Amino acid sequence: MSATLKPYLTAVRHTLASAMCLEHFSSQVVERYNKPEVEVGTSKELLLNPVIISRNANEKVLIESSINSIRISIMIKQADEIEKILCKKFMRFMMMRAENFIVLRRKPVDGYHISFLITNFHTEQMYKHKLVDFVIYFMEEIDKEISEMKLAVNARARICSEEFLKRF
Amino acid sequence: MAKNTSSSAFRKIDIDQYNEDNFKEDEAEQSVPTGPDEGEVCALLNQARYVEALKHVLDNAPLGSSDQQVKDNALSLTLKVLIAVKSAQIEEVVGNLSLDDIDILMKYIYRGFEYPSEGSSGHLLLWHEKAFNVGGAGSIVRVLSDRLKV
Repeated sequence: MSATLKPYLTAVRHTLASAMCLEHFSSQVVERYNKPEVEVGTSKELLLNPVIISRNANEKVLIESSINSIRISIMIKQADEIEKILCKKFMRFMMMRAENFIVLRRKPVDGYHISFLITNFHTEQMYKHKLVDFVIYFMEEIDKEISEMKLAVNARARICSEEFLKRF
Repeated sequence: MAKNTSSSAFRKIDIDQYNEDNFKEDEAEQSVPTGPDEGEVCALLNQARYVEALKHVLDNAPLGSSDQQVKDNALSLTLKVLIAVKSAQIEEVVGNLSLDDIDILMKYIYRGFEYPSEGSSGHLLLWHEKAFNVGGAGSIVRVLSDRLKV
């Protein structure tokens, strides 16, 4: 299984590094504004082709880029019901605190579980390679985190039921 | 005279579409190839001549064709060739391609990711790695920015 994880992350890393060439761009519609073009989508000339990188049918990354912003949406694998619930709650927890993560988007793009929005201001304030590293690290850790939580939930349920059934 | 009306539908009209300097997609009406020949590719595959089969599909890729059906046929044929090549041979095959072919190959790899099937994505990830080693970041940027999609 983990045989495809490394090439998957490398492919995402290379694509992100190539796509993250952002510059300041004034809005064509509203004077003195800079809007993330990938979000407003007012003109097709400012958007690049969106690309998808998939590891299998349940795990993929959608990368949409534009002149001044890039949106990365991640679909996280969910093998069973408990992983679905854990993923949903965990993503909700993080997206409610999106401003602490700076590049996190408050809502995921349709069909995906979590999205990042990186604008030219982020690339000006932070190192580009560190931003790419962050996204890759996030993708690595999220799977681990969810499977760990699943184990913890199962272990706790086992202890609870043992304690409860001792009475009978 | 203007008439009083309670309708507010006019507020929803997108007036920007009447701007003269609006961006329009240039409609390139070039003579585009009609896509690779399935019979020939299958024949090359049966003889295990993968490099020639891949070159054939890449040279005849229907870039800029407006017919989605033609593109889909070409895509499935290309994926067939990509999957037929064994993991150990990928590097050798990629080494035999020109840089222009690598760019088109990269476009097909990204298109292929959109339709993940059993085992295809893992194989395409290998192709991506090898193609990146030759084409570099430039080939990915050309996938992102080129309007002539496959």
